[in-house]
Amino acid sequence: MKKTFASPDSVSGESRDALIDLIYRLADDDLILGHRNSVWTGLAPILEADIAMSSLAQDEIGQAVAYYRLLHDLGEPDPDTLAFTRSAQDYRCASLTLLDRGDWAFSTVRQYFYDVYKTHRLASLSDGTYAPLAQLARKVRGEQKYHMMHSRMWVSRLGDATDESRERMQRSVDTLYGHALGLFEPTPFEQIIADHGFCTTESGLFETWRDEVHSMLDHAGLTIPGDVTPKHGGRRGQHLPELQLLLDEMQQVYRLEPTAQW
Amino acid sequence: MDTQWRVFEVFHQQTRGEPHVHVGAIHAPDSESAIVMAKEQYGRRQACVSLWVVPSDSIVGTSYNDVDIFEHGTDKTYREAYGYQTTKRVRAQTTKRPKSLREANETGEQS
Repeated sequence: MKKTFASPDSVSGESRDALIDLIYRLADDDLILGHRNSVWTGLAPILEADIAMSSLAQDEIGQAVAYYRLLHDLGEPDPDTLAFTRSAQDYRCASLTLLDRGDWAFSTVRQYFYDVYKTHRLASLSDGTYAPLAQLARKVRGEQKYHMMHSRMWVSRLGDATDESRERMQRSVDTLYGHALGLFEPTPFEQIIADHGFCTTESGLFETWRDEVHSMLDHAGLTIPGDVTPKHGGRRGQHLPELQLLLDEMQQVYRLEPTAQW
Repeated sequence: MDTQWRVFEVFHQQTRGEPHVHVGAIHAPDSESAIVMAKEQYGRRQACVSLWVVPSDSIVGTSYNDVDIFEHGTDKTYREAYGYQTTKRVRAQTTKRPKSLREANETGEQS
């Protein structure tokens, strides 16, 4: 039985640094992907899909805020400051989350890859030793369960609906697979995180992700590209130029008047 | 190719034991995707423990041309469930009854 950490005061030193890095990755992935998904509002192929996608975006941004609060409790700046004043190199999101929305197939495949990752990540965090994080992970698992139902539904439908849908889905899988592998980019904190029982290792998460994704894509009639190089860098703050463009847009209003009350 | 999706009627249950109430309809290609989309369309603004979706073309209804079949040819008020309405009316009366003299005195109001 591993020692549990009941509050922010109970973690210090390198374990605190490791925990903070982990939570930044969780928060930034959700905020950036939530922002990308929010641009579908009013544009999704049908009304029903539009409403569902907008809700997913709200869920993700809501979860990001909850993670930023945990960071604030650990001595980091407040959520608004974190979301609206940092520059690209301070973000720890994976490249999968920051790419432009693309077509509906692209956003669907991206969301599916992310949702499988997030589901297993939350399962591990729920059993983790940092109590505030484990509690939050358990609280949002219901939302995540729905996200998974939503993603699986779209992938299985579009994978074999028509030649065009299959072709668009396969193209997105080919483009996004390397970015999805980047979700599991190793970090210098990985061993500390696993040793303290905050969360499982990235390689452990990847194995469960890969087994589930491969079986689902196979079932949907889609092929996993062979010999793909993972797109790393995001977890170290080295990002594609798309992130700065996204931040310029997302932070624009806040930067006009940072002290304004909303 | 027919690009029009099927229509499903959506029924929403607020708490266990209560009836599922018809709340509207959605377009979906099949029942599984109908449930997934109905959840956000109809389950996100109010408490919900269960949703049903039913293909609209599975529902058989009467025609308004036949509305006269519901009219009574002779007096059958003995059959109408007035008891329930009376209960509702009595409950509504008790909740908005005016303050008694004693209550008014206690709060210092003039009667």
